[in-house]
Amino acid sequence: MSRLRSAGVNLVHLWPVAFLLICWDVWVLVNGYTSTVAPRPWFVIQDVLAGFADYVPSISYTLGMALGGLIGGTLIGFVGAILVWWSAALSGIVTPTALIIRSVPITALIPIIARIVGYGDPAVLASTTLICFFPAFVFTLSGLAAIPEAGRDLFSVLGANKAQVLGRLGVLYALPNLMVSVRITAPSAVLAAMLAEFLMGTNGLGALFSESRSYMDMERAWGTAVVATVVSVLVFVGAQVAERRVDARLT
Amino acid sequence: MSTIATLPAIAADPTEPATRTAVSVIGADKIFTLGRGKKLQALAEVDLEIAEGEFVAIIGPSGCGKSTVLRLAAGLDEPTNGRVEIFGAEPRQLARQHRLGVAFQEHALLPWASVRSNIALPFKVAGRPVDDARVDGLIDLVGLTGFEKARPKQLSGGMRQRVSIARALALSPDLLLLDEPFGALDAVTRRRMNAELARIWGEEKITTILVTHDVDEALILADRVIVMTGRPGHVRTVKTVDFPRPRDAEITRSSEFHALVDELTCLLDASDGAAA
Repeated sequence: MSRLRSAGVNLVHLWPVAFLLICWDVWVLVNGYTSTVAPRPWFVIQDVLAGFADYVPSISYTLGMALGGLIGGTLIGFVGAILVWWSAALSGIVTPTALIIRSVPITALIPIIARIVGYGDPAVLASTTLICFFPAFVFTLSGLAAIPEAGRDLFSVLGANKAQVLGRLGVLYALPNLMVSVRITAPSAVLAAMLAEFLMGTNGLGALFSESRSYMDMERAWGTAVVATVVSVLVFVGAQVAERRVDARLT
Repeated sequence: MSTIATLPAIAADPTEPATRTAVSVIGADKIFTLGRGKKLQALAEVDLEIAEGEFVAIIGPSGCGKSTVLRLAAGLDEPTNGRVEIFGAEPRQLARQHRLGVAFQEHALLPWASVRSNIALPFKVAGRPVDDARVDGLIDLVGLTGFEKARPKQLSGGMRQRVSIARALALSPDLLLLDEPFGALDAVTRRRMNAELARIWGEEKITTILVTHDVDEALILADRVIVMTGRPGHVRTVKTVDFPRPRDAEITRSSEFHALVDELTCLLDASDGAAA
């Protein structure tokens, strides 16, 4: 009974979704759009449910690319921040590079990335990695900078070397911060993967969207957008759960 | 009374078991730059000499630079002028050799580690195998048996301080620095910890500097009590405490003990006034 009740409560919490769907339908009807301009939500949902098997390869490809880029970019950012923390000389190289990469819009970078690493999978993975790299870098660096004074003093009187300060103190203080970066970049990773797929990929939700649009299969194109939104939200929720776990363990 | 005069001189004859000097602070002052050209003088010409195996307590009004003296001895700060030597070498040397134990005012426990791992940390940093019997003994000593697996956030403030004291003792250091380690404890636990600390000190004779507010605590534990003046801190008086050990309730209730407490409290008041 209580399970049923909590399921009911959860359903009630979904009201914004229902509200959005109704607004979408009203907007299409009021403007009198044909399905080639904007399909009604019910047809889009029907396409997703009925043709879900057609979506699955694209979902798994995009998800794989997004997660791959998320993990890769986070690791590179983490290592970069540690290098900067470790040595002033490396800081002079890594920090400006990181800032330049961050300042150039990803959309403009994608064709260049593709030219360098090759079209298709490498370009998609490189784009998602690039978008996840900078937040991980900045958050790790701020975590390392926020090692409490008392902790530094303790390791100093224990006669710890720099590697021990990093391994036994710095990394563990930086990890909760790194997880914040994972949470905020996770949806961007999905976005970057889709954008790269849309611009030059042959697989994934981005490519599926571009392909359906060119065949004027608007239900499929809008369905791709809906599916991408759901994937993005799920990735975010997953990252949030991971962040909470790490936080509970380390603080 | 001069600080140096109260100490036995280092024997010239090497065959005689001489008392080595553990800590010597010579004419040390410490000026902190606060920015915008403002400066704060925390210490003025502090001279201290502490013999090996001696227990010295430093008392003084808040902000008189007691903790700064400890930081100088720990090698965490350097004096602006003057010199600090620990066993004849620069203070950092002792830390590098893993011979220094410090319990800070802030417990500085690792939040992700259990009580046991926190106490075992000095072994790991020193690259030595963890002596489980020693760690268990320390846990028992500070009365935390049953809490071995607890994390710092699950402990009370007093328990955390006790973990930090156990950690400071883990490697049986040659020099133990205690910065108001019992500050967060209730009176009863505090007295019990005082007795325990006196017992450990009796067994291991670790050269100890204790910074405290509590005159009673200083008199129960120390061989000598150093009274510091208010900012800028310098040594006002050094008092030798020669009550026999162990200093149990019989001694703390004696009129001599009370007289000494009163005398030192008066000195503290006077040095407070000097600061104002």
